[in-house]
Amino acid sequence: MLSRLAESFYWIGRYLERAEATARLLAEHYHLTVEDRSVPDDVAAAVVLDALSLPHGTITSPSELVRALLGDVGNPSTVIGAVGAARENARSVRDAISGDVFESLNGAYLTLTRGLMAAASPGPSMHRVIERLMVVNGAIEWTMTRDEGHWFLLLGRSLERIDMTSRLLDVHHEVLWPDTGPIATLRSAAGLTPFLRTGEPPTGDAVRRFLVLEPTFPRSLLHSARGAEEAARGLQSQGNAADATLLREVGLMRSRLEFAGLVQDPSEVDALAAETQMSAVDAALATADAYFRQAGTIVWSH
Amino acid sequence: MQSRTGAAVAYDEMVDADGKPRPGMHGVASVLDTLGAEGLTERARLRDAYLDRQGITFSLSGRERPLPMDLVPRVIGAEEWTRVEAGIKQRIKALEMFLHDVYGPGEVLEDGIVPRRLVTSSHHYHRAAYGLVPPNGVRIHVAGIDLIRDEAGTFRVLEDNLRCPSGVSYVLENRRTLAHVLPEVFNGQQVRSVFEYPEHLLDALRAAAPSDVADPTVAVLTPGVHNSAHFEHAFLARRMGAELVEGRDLFCRDDRLWMRTVRGARPVHVIYRRIDDEYLDPVHFLPDSLLGVPGLLNAARAGNVAIANAVGNGVADDKAVYPYVPDMIAYYLGETAILPNVTTYNLSDPDQRRHVLERLDRMVVKPVDGSGGYGLVIGNQASESQLEATAQKIQDDPRAWIAQPIVTLSTSPTVVGEGAVEPRHVDLRPFAVNDGDDIFVLPGGLTRVALPKGSLVVNSSQGGGSKDTWVLDEGERGPAGESAPPRVTRVRRSAVARHHAPVTADERLRQQEGQQQQSAGTDATGALPC
Repeated sequence: MLSRLAESFYWIGRYLERAEATARLLAEHYHLTVEDRSVPDDVAAAVVLDALSLPHGTITSPSELVRALLGDVGNPSTVIGAVGAARENARSVRDAISGDVFESLNGAYLTLTRGLMAAASPGPSMHRVIERLMVVNGAIEWTMTRDEGHWFLLLGRSLERIDMTSRLLDVHHEVLWPDTGPIATLRSAAGLTPFLRTGEPPTGDAVRRFLVLEPTFPRSLLHSARGAEEAARGLQSQGNAADATLLREVGLMRSRLEFAGLVQDPSEVDALAAETQMSAVDAALATADAYFRQAGTIVWSH
Repeated sequence: MQSRTGAAVAYDEMVDADGKPRPGMHGVASVLDTLGAEGLTERARLRDAYLDRQGITFSLSGRERPLPMDLVPRVIGAEEWTRVEAGIKQRIKALEMFLHDVYGPGEVLEDGIVPRRLVTSSHHYHRAAYGLVPPNGVRIHVAGIDLIRDEAGTFRVLEDNLRCPSGVSYVLENRRTLAHVLPEVFNGQQVRSVFEYPEHLLDALRAAAPSDVADPTVAVLTPGVHNSAHFEHAFLARRMGAELVEGRDLFCRDDRLWMRTVRGARPVHVIYRRIDDEYLDPVHFLPDSLLGVPGLLNAARAGNVAIANAVGNGVADDKAVYPYVPDMIAYYLGETAILPNVTTYNLSDPDQRRHVLERLDRMVVKPVDGSGGYGLVIGNQASESQLEATAQKIQDDPRAWIAQPIVTLSTSPTVVGEGAVEPRHVDLRPFAVNDGDDIFVLPGGLTRVALPKGSLVVNSSQGGGSKDTWVLDEGERGPAGESAPPRVTRVRRSAVARHHAPVTADERLRQQEGQQQQSAGTDATGALPC
């Protein structure tokens, strides 16, 4: 497979994940701030913008935060930007992906850029975005060949999921909204029902531990790290030269979480999350080095 | 608003006698003005789409449909709520003691406070429950006390629901739906949250478990997907993280309750049942019921399982017993009732019966053990022949009916067709959860609204709708905007910079050179990390 194609698949995975996770966080955060007016709007907006490494600008109301996070095609840290970026990558590999995947992704992009903002209230708009993105992921699941491209996409998705779940933890809903915050965190990760079925009361600490260490929850750091390792091994099994750095990085990351044991101290959980997030960055760099611009590539730039 | 009989004028919850918005209603009023009919119609469309999508439905005569939720919230002030809350706690305390009494020593009957024949003739007084003391003594784990506001604006108790009161899921969903489709209406005031309800319920159910169980298993027992309130059963089970079971999933052995799982039988310690007493245990009640669990009552009697709400609670919410509740409060607690009753005539008494029959067109007649508004006759809206038939029924079986003077329920502004806003009659069902130590009253409750003009019947089974119900939090915080300093101002900035494709400058350069196919502005690869 061409390096260029591989890189596009990887970024389709990342951007789709980023768009959906951002949209879910935004939808829940908006609900939270509308229903509970006890936190000043600028503070409520700041915690989300900081967690997503976005500039504060002049945001003073929940609807301005929605506009900022929905964003535009120029900024791939926003919902629209991320979907646009995923679509651009899909265009460059259009010959290699199924028609269903491209069409659903293109449809999601068009929904977002044409008239979505006209909707009267941001809640319903977010729902539509999430719905469209779920269709794209369904098309990937149904129609994509399980070849290298698929493994690259899964690798990108897993690494981005680690990043986004870490950022969700960085919002610290439970600090500003002690009563309703933990539930909002869970809903942002579509994790409310899975969490409640564990039988634990939804306290801030229990929720954070769940999002880091729960092996069965698809958006937990542990589960995502397993996904990253599986993708790295999948690439190896397709006859790619095993990349020692990438395998080592994702293997270490997964093991740290897998064998963390009974972590009770909340600060330990947070430290583990931060370490995992850094590790995902290193894994991303290792992926690029190993597959997208291998050593020895001649770069024709003066 | 004049009622048809020309009697009393309803209390308007939006505006006072001078037409000015009541405290707390200014914000709502101005949002309604700003939106206008067109805006409201658009929001109504969004709401319908949302409710449909969420599957927030109940079944009416076999058809599944969304419970109509009105866009205008109903607002209750903090001070007023404090009184309602205290009144409900007081009432439930007395009713708990009454149930303990009639299924035990019977002192209240001995002392003649409540007539013995009234209790023993109740269809819901179950001898099978006599002497059955729940592990933590609680029989009313969940109560729904129906309140109305009379013409003077006073909250009065219309009826008690101590068996399987339903509707609490709509309270939570209404709040979420309103925030979803009409967020601006929340601006400028702090509304007390309703979302802690499932936690309180789970705590109360776990507290009800047999005392020798360290980590009790709670299950919600539903009649199945065809029940009108199945959405609620599933909702509560999901939000409590409890198992939703049907009768066929359960069995009793050795006076213990078990559920069938893929890993074999698992014990169940607390059953939150949402099926009626009569169907609960074919050994004691209807022998052909397939919904219940044979032997459940024996297991409860052996102290191995707690049933919530307890079997036989219906005797306390029997409408013929209802007039005696203020006396119970005086008898058991030595207090006067904080929330007054509505005047009620006991039709077993010949004098009261004659009084009622003489003015049947100004009475509401209700079956004593009915619910859902079935069998209700409103005198001034019934035809001549209906009134005659009702009078005959009362003569035939006076114990089966009660009568109350028609109370004109308060009105609240409601969106009716094409975005017009008109007053419609409302009631209120607050929900309370008793864990044995404390009674938690959910702030607000379910406001039901009679959608047809002039109608006084709010039951959802009779075409009623609902409203999001706000209890304003006027305590520690001021209105938003000038709110108290936030608890924490320092927030942690994410330490990791955003990653974007591609990751290095030479990569970007290389791609830019050969990327005619990527249009400017939507360039996936040109963005800088922010």
